[in-house]
Amino acid sequence: MAAKQHKRNYMISRSSSTPPMASFVKRLFGKIHSAVNSWERNHSPCRRRSLHRDVEQEDLQHINTNCLSSYYSVFVARLAIMVMLAILIGLLTLLTWHFTKVYTRTSLNALAYGLRYELLQRPVLRMWSILNSTVEITTAQVRLSEYVIRKYNRPENQAQQVELYEVMRDVTWALFASYRALNSITIKYKNGFVQAFHRDPRDNSTYYIYNDLTNYTMSGPYDVNMSSSHQGWNDQTIHSNISAIWYREPLDPNTGEKIGKQKAIPPDELINIAGISQVPYGAASWHVAVSKFTNSPLLSAAMPVWDESQGNIMAVVGVTTSLYSVGQLMKELVGFHSGHIYLTSQEGWLLATSSTTPLLTNSSTGPKLMMAVDSQDPVIQTGAKWLLKAYGNKPPPNHEVHIEHAKLGHQTYYIDSFFLNLKRLPMVGVLIIPRKYIMGKVDERAFKTLMILISASVCILIIGCVCIFVLTNGVSKEMKLRAELISHLDARRKAEASSNYKSQFLANMSHELRTPMAAVIGLLDILISDECLTNEQYATISQIRRCSTALLRLLNNILDISKVESGKLVLEEAEFDMGRELEGLVDMFSVQCKNHNVETVIDLSDDMPKVVQGDSARVVQIFANLISNSIKFTTSGYIILRGWCEDPHSCIENGKFSFDQKALWPAQKNKLIQQENQEKSSCKKDNRVILWFEVDDTGCGIDPSKWESVFESFEQADPSTTRLHGGTGLGLCIVRTLVNKMGGEIRVVKKNGPGTLMQLYLLLGTPVDMPLENYKLKYADHNLKVVLALNGSMCRMILSKWLFKTGVHTWEACEWNELTHILQELFIPSRYTQNLTYECSKVESISKQEMEVSVFIIVIDIGLLNLSTDIWKEQLNFLDIFYKRAKFAWVLNHDTSNTIKMELHNRGHLMMVNEPLYKSKMVQIMEAAIKEKMISLRHGILGGDTHEFLEIDNVHSDPESSNDSEKSELNCSTTGIVQVEETRRTRSSSRYGIVNNCFLELTEVCSERNKQGANETFPVSQEKRMQYAEKTISEQKSLKGVRILLAEDTPILQRVATIMLEKMGATVVVVGDGMQAVEALQTPSEGGMTTQTKMRVPPPYDLILMDCQMPKMDGYEATKAIRRAEMGTDLHIPIVALTAHAMSSDEAKCLEVGMDAYLTKPIDCKLMVSTILSLTKLQPNSLT
Amino acid sequence: MAAVSQLQRQFIEYTTSLYNEGYLDDQFTQLQKLQDESNPEFVVEVVSLFFEDSEKLLNNLATALQQKIVDYKQVDSHVHQFKGSSSSIGAQRVTNVCVHFRNYCEEKNLDGCLRCLQQVKHEYILVRNKLEALFRLEQQILQAGGSIPMME
Repeated sequence: MAAKQHKRNYMISRSSSTPPMASFVKRLFGKIHSAVNSWERNHSPCRRRSLHRDVEQEDLQHINTNCLSSYYSVFVARLAIMVMLAILIGLLTLLTWHFTKVYTRTSLNALAYGLRYELLQRPVLRMWSILNSTVEITTAQVRLSEYVIRKYNRPENQAQQVELYEVMRDVTWALFASYRALNSITIKYKNGFVQAFHRDPRDNSTYYIYNDLTNYTMSGPYDVNMSSSHQGWNDQTIHSNISAIWYREPLDPNTGEKIGKQKAIPPDELINIAGISQVPYGAASWHVAVSKFTNSPLLSAAMPVWDESQGNIMAVVGVTTSLYSVGQLMKELVGFHSGHIYLTSQEGWLLATSSTTPLLTNSSTGPKLMMAVDSQDPVIQTGAKWLLKAYGNKPPPNHEVHIEHAKLGHQTYYIDSFFLNLKRLPMVGVLIIPRKYIMGKVDERAFKTLMILISASVCILIIGCVCIFVLTNGVSKEMKLRAELISHLDARRKAEASSNYKSQFLANMSHELRTPMAAVIGLLDILISDECLTNEQYATISQIRRCSTALLRLLNNILDISKVESGKLVLEEAEFDMGRELEGLVDMFSVQCKNHNVETVIDLSDDMPKVVQGDSARVVQIFANLISNSIKFTTSGYIILRGWCEDPHSCIENGKFSFDQKALWPAQKNKLIQQENQEKSSCKKDNRVILWFEVDDTGCGIDPSKWESVFESFEQADPSTTRLHGGTGLGLCIVRTLVNKMGGEIRVVKKNGPGTLMQLYLLLGTPVDMPLENYKLKYADHNLKVVLALNGSMCRMILSKWLFKTGVHTWEACEWNELTHILQELFIPSRYTQNLTYECSKVESISKQEMEVSVFIIVIDIGLLNLSTDIWKEQLNFLDIFYKRAKFAWVLNHDTSNTIKMELHNRGHLMMVNEPLYKSKMVQIMEAAIKEKMISLRHGILGGDTHEFLEIDNVHSDPESSNDSEKSELNCSTTGIVQVEETRRTRSSSRYGIVNNCFLELTEVCSERNKQGANETFPVSQEKRMQYAEKTISEQKSLKGVRILLAEDTPILQRVATIMLEKMGATVVVVGDGMQAVEALQTPSEGGMTTQTKMRVPPPYDLILMDCQMPKMDGYEATKAIRRAEMGTDLHIPIVALTAHAMSSDEAKCLEVGMDAYLTKPIDCKLMVSTILSLTKLQPNSLT
Repeated sequence: MAAVSQLQRQFIEYTTSLYNEGYLDDQFTQLQKLQDESNPEFVVEVVSLFFEDSEKLLNNLATALQQKIVDYKQVDSHVHQFKGSSSSIGAQRVTNVCVHFRNYCEEKNLDGCLRCLQQVKHEYILVRNKLEALFRLEQQILQAGGSIPMME
């Protein structure tokens, strides 16, 4: 019951705590949900990213929020784990507490219940036994009385009557004495006589009480009829019989002897005498009585004495027992167990209590029984009240009540009640035990346990939370780091992508960028060739031309870089003459150098293979970049381009590095040798050679810390260089990329003295083992003697060394006076016989005969002449002396004036070369001299036709022809240089991409025109070329003879374009749509193709102007059809798109379908003419 | 003679105003330059070709835009052609409107197209009137025995 109660309470408490619990759970779910959401938010971008890897539109902010949300999610997860832990520990605590408490409590309760039951049972049993004994005694008395009365039946006289009473008295005394608990025994006879024994507990005395017999009547026996006897036997008669006198005589309680005198007792002191009224039905009866002699209520039983023979009641026996002993027992029990016990009648009259308070109230009518609620004991009173309140007047069916938590006053009590159902006297026993007595310790312990458990769990919770915090802190840090890493990766990928986009963009933009530049330059060329330009205009235009070229070069650089970066650069494999390419390069740059007062020298060793396989344009680009770089930073001194073949020992042997860096060369070299030893063997097998090059200058140099970084893109050794020298810093980057592509390496090498030494090697293929030219054999035979009178010391030194090696005698002179000395010593020895100089002795050794056989070559730099004044003519006169004996070769400057050249020419000095002088030029000079010598020997005439030699010279230096032809009137020298340079560039670029063709064509046209303008004997082998050459001369009719097919549907444009073209001298045929255009082409060309070779028969038109939007067949389709028809033939009719679209995509589309150029409406006359010119000019070139 | 010079002055002023107000551009000058002894009526010829062509195109455009389902591709090609021809004679304002017209075509904006058609018509009529007036002036000059002054 108690357990149930507790459980219910618990349930209640749980149910009452449900609302906050539910809300907490809801919140927790919300948090988890949000955490999951944030996790998804975290991860969904990842997924999206992985799905659209290439979509790079994530902004950084997003990543930031991601980080933040992940941080929050970690926080929330941490919180959730903590809360879960808290719940777990809380539950554990509660359960532990609950179970320990509940089990002890239930067992204790069970024990307590037993105890209580027992406690209550005992007084009740005592009560029961008292009742029983009372009844027994009563019964015994009745039996004895019956016996005695029967014996003395019908007393005839007074004596018998007295005897009867005497016997009755004795018998009664015996019984009374034998049972000490009895309070009194009374016998009332039917005649009204009363005999009674009474014990007074107050003074422990015993009395015999009787009334005098005067009053009683012997007349008439008792009514036999019980009902009738009621009349005669009423108490009223007895009690009202006041006249009866009662006597009391004290007795010895042990013996029953009379010890005092009899006394009459007042009526109010009379004890209860059981009368006939108490046995109304002739059966035994009980009731609780009160007497003034005792504090406790008395239990009195009454029984009638029957006369069996007559069947009437002879007397009534009453026995009174004090309930005092029950109270005593209760007191004992309570004294031992604490608590309170009381016994009430069913109506609530208090019968016995464990307390000492009186059970009776004194009222005016004598002592009376007291209700339990009126008890003076507070506990009993409140307990009774509580019971009354709880159950009211309707007690539970069997009066059994067990209450565990009855709050009485300030304490809780157990209240238990039992119902003792006696037939006549139902009784209720109530036990009130303070809860503290049974459960006191348990409750206290339970509370303590709870406290300990709670504190322990709180501690565990805190420790757990700290642990979780520490652990998840690591995790969250890791997550943070990971998020950072991801964002970094992202950023990097983005950066890479953007760089990639940049490269791709540039690579794709290349033709869009180059085409307009090409157009600009082409148009400028047209303008330059215009005769009616004023000088100022001409200068301006050449300036523009230069700028454009520079811009184009820059553009090309950037595009090259982007091409390399986007992986589109492919090196071609073609045979080319490395030496010639490099010499051409040096020629080109020497002009620029001259302005800077810098000497450009090329020094290629003899063992270099003449022809190598590779990408000549790229090789040239490498050196062009390096040399231009050197020029940029070198203000005075020299720039040397050295080259040798991979055989380091020979290099050292031939003393190439007798310069200042010779000392540290071997160490440098050895390192490299070791590096390439493995390569070497394999390289030799597949005919690959390693070519070493050095570019050595005396410029400002590069700081050693920058030796590596200068090769990075947009990197310059000194930030101020951009300001001073310009440039983008792309050059070296391109160089390194190209060198690496060719299987080589480039680095900056330490150098003594100022300047930079760039060293690189290239891995290039050689076609077959070409025999090296052995100059030594060649020239030694001819007895060549050379006087080198050159300004540049470097150049002179290198050449003389080389000549010496090949077995040619050389004399060196660096100024005019020195030269005159040498010449005079050589040719007029008589004057200087006494001189004992080395040269002189050497000269001396040359015999007269030898003088005749040997060939003297005097190489004179024009700079040796004093050109500032007119002395140079005198000097020439001086030289004329030796004219017949020696061969003169003049080294000219690019700015040597025409007058000097003419003068030289007039004097018969026909052998002229341009600066710089290098090996192959020297070879040419010497070969020319030898040839002349041979001829002269053959004809016996000296000074034969020298024009031949000039020609040889020219042919040999073919690539530089425009440069060499100093007589060019149209080209000033600088433009010439630019032109050559540009031609090279365009050649290099023209190998890639179709669009470049246009540019190449333009520049070639220009150079052609220049040549014509120069009135040179141009070997025109083809009629067509002649034709065009003529055409270009006339400015107005620039398109004369060009047959143009115009496909245009708009009549207006037809008309306009026709007139425009016709004005230029072109023949125009107009067709209305693409179909007609295709047809117009097909018929004649088909016939031609079947009969004759494709080369000779020209197509019916030289060019087609094609409108893009036309009915029937538009321009794109028509072009495709024409190109299809051309397939398999060498024909390629230039098609120029004509469209009103102005978008670049249209241009791309036009070029894609096979058109060659693109014009927008309205037609710009000049642009059209230049475009047509460039395309028609190119035609014969590209065909041949 | 005074009449001629006055006419010539008037002609120059008129032509200049045409350029200034943007009716014509350099292309027209180029056309005029192309006119010489071999093609004495070149400009008039081309311009009248333009008029014919334009009338036809405008009619085509009007019908094309009145269709229930407008074929924007066709409209676009008409406008394109119109743009080409107008730019060829230098009718700058017509060309500009054509550019807008084509944008609307791409957007398939019928309202815009119709509006542009009206504008194009308007501009065309304007430029036609101007050119006709110009040619009338030229005629007058020629009849008066003067020569057409060249615009620089």
